[in-house]
Amino acid sequence: MNTSDSEEDSYNERSALVQCESPTIPSYNQDHDMSLPQETDTKRRRPVSSGLDEPGPVERERASTPDGEEEELTLKYGAKHVIMLFIPVTLCMVVVVATIKSVSFYTEKTSQRLIYTPFEEDPNSVGQRLLNSLLNTMVMISVIVVMTIILVVLYKYRCYKFIHGWLILSSLMLLFWFSFMYLGEVFKTYNVAMDYPTLVMIIWNFGVVGMICIHWKGPLRLQQAYLIVISALMALIFIKYLPEWSAWVILGAISIYDLIAVLCPKGPLRMLVETAQERNEPIFPALIYSSAMVWMVGMADSSNPDSADERQRNEGGALAQEGVESEDDATQGGRRRYSAEEDLEEDRGVKLGLGDFIFYSVLVGKAATTGGDWNTTLACFVAILIGLCLTLLLLAIFKKALPALPISITFGLVFYFSTDNLVRPFMDSLAAHQYYI
Amino acid sequence: MNLERIPNEEKLSLSRRYYLGGFAFLPFLWLVNVLWFFREAFLKPTYTEQPQIKSYVKKSALGLIVWVAVLTTWITIFQHFRAQWGEVGDYLSFTIPLGTA
Repeated sequence: MNTSDSEEDSYNERSALVQCESPTIPSYNQDHDMSLPQETDTKRRRPVSSGLDEPGPVERERASTPDGEEEELTLKYGAKHVIMLFIPVTLCMVVVVATIKSVSFYTEKTSQRLIYTPFEEDPNSVGQRLLNSLLNTMVMISVIVVMTIILVVLYKYRCYKFIHGWLILSSLMLLFWFSFMYLGEVFKTYNVAMDYPTLVMIIWNFGVVGMICIHWKGPLRLQQAYLIVISALMALIFIKYLPEWSAWVILGAISIYDLIAVLCPKGPLRMLVETAQERNEPIFPALIYSSAMVWMVGMADSSNPDSADERQRNEGGALAQEGVESEDDATQGGRRRYSAEEDLEEDRGVKLGLGDFIFYSVLVGKAATTGGDWNTTLACFVAILIGLCLTLLLLAIFKKALPALPISITFGLVFYFSTDNLVRPFMDSLAAHQYYI
Repeated sequence: MNLERIPNEEKLSLSRRYYLGGFAFLPFLWLVNVLWFFREAFLKPTYTEQPQIKSYVKKSALGLIVWVAVLTTWITIFQHFRAQWGEVGDYLSFTIPLGTA
C-alpha cells in the first residue's frame, strides 16, 4: 500500500505544546476563548464575591500579590500539569511498545515506502545510506513545511470549511482504515478466527463513536482515550514505513523544525497561535490533546468556554489517495500548552499537540524495535519524560507557546544511542561474567 | 466535555441524540450513553429534564443488552461451527487461524 501524505501532515499539526497566557482578559468572557486563561494566582486571590462584578485587569491584583506566592502556585500547577501529561504520553508509548513487541507486522520491513521517503536505504554502503537518509529527511521536512505554511495561510484567510473537511477526512482514515489494519494484524498474531460481520460491527462502532467524541461532544475520558489511540496508530505506521536511519534523522530534523517554527517571530506555528489568539478562537479542532481538569466552585454559569474541551484531535489522517495533500501540518510546530486558570477554580489543564505524542512514541517504538532489549526502551522512555518535565517547567516560567519536541527528542536520541552502544554491551558482558553490581 | 457545565436542556438533547444515534448499529454509542448519563439520570437530585434522560438511559441500556445478546450468540455460533461450514465459513472469515498439526 502506498500510503500517502496525509499521514505526515496530520502529525505535523499535532505537535504542539501550547500555553496560553493572557493576563488581561476578563474571566467572564463568554466567547469560546482559549486565550482566556488568567493568571491563576491573582485570580485566586480575588475574593469570589467580587468576581462577578468586576473582571478587572489582572495586573492590578498581580502587583499586590507577593511574588513568592505566585511562583509557588505557578509551580504547583505546573507540577500537576506535568502529571496530567505524563499519563497519556506514557499510555501512548506503552500501547506502541506493546504492539511492537507482540505484533511482528510492524517490525517487518517491506519494500513499500511512504512517498515522502523516496530514497531507498542501501544497507551495503554506509555513506550511501547516510546520504539517502538525509535526502529522505529533506523531502519529508519540506513536505511538512509546505503543509504547515498552507495550513497557516488557510487559517489566516479563514478557509475554515476546508480545514475542517481535511481534518475530518484525516480522522476518518485513522479511525477506520488504520484501526482495521491494526486489528487484522493483532488477530493474525494471536491466531484468532474473526468473521466479517463481527469485524464490521467492531470497526464501525469504534470509528463512529470516535468521530463523535473527537469532533463533536463526548465524555472527556473517552475523547482522551481516542486521541491516545489514534496517536499510537499513527506512530505505528511511521515505525513501519520509515526506513531505519531516515527515521532517526527525521526525528532530529523535526525537533529542529519545531523549535524554529514555534519560536521564531515569522515561524508558521507561532503565527498560527498568534492569529488564533487575536481572533480569540481555539487553535484547531482535533489536533491537540487537552487534559482538562475542570472544577467549578459554586459558580453559576459564568462559563468560561471550555476550551479545554475541544479535544483537538489529531488528525493523523493520511489520506489514501495518492497525492492528496492537504494535511494540515500546521500544528506540528505549535506546541502550545494552555494552562489557563480561571479564578473560578476552574483549571483548564494542559494541552499538548498530538504530533508530540506521535513522535515520542515513534522514538520509543523504534528503540523497542531495534534496541534489542528493554534497557534501551526504558532509557528512552525515561528520557522523554524528563524532557517533557523540563519543557513544562519552561512553560510555567515563560508562559507562552513552546515546542515540546526538541528537549525530549534530544534527550531521547542521546539516551538511545548511548544506551545502545555503551550500556548494552556493558550489561551483556556483566551478565556473561555473572558479575552483579 | 464536562456534563456539569452544560445546562439541563442540552444534557437532554445530548442524551437523546446518543440514543437515536445508537439505532445505526451502534451499541457502543448506547453504552457510552448509559455510562455517561448514569449519574445524571439516577444519582442526582431531581430536575425537570431528569425523567426523560432517565428514560433514554434505560432504553439505551435495553438496546445494549439486546445487541450484546445477539452478538454473543452469533460469535458463539461462528466460532463453534466455522470449521464445519467449510467454504461458507472461510468466506465469512476475516482471519483464519493457522493450524498446528
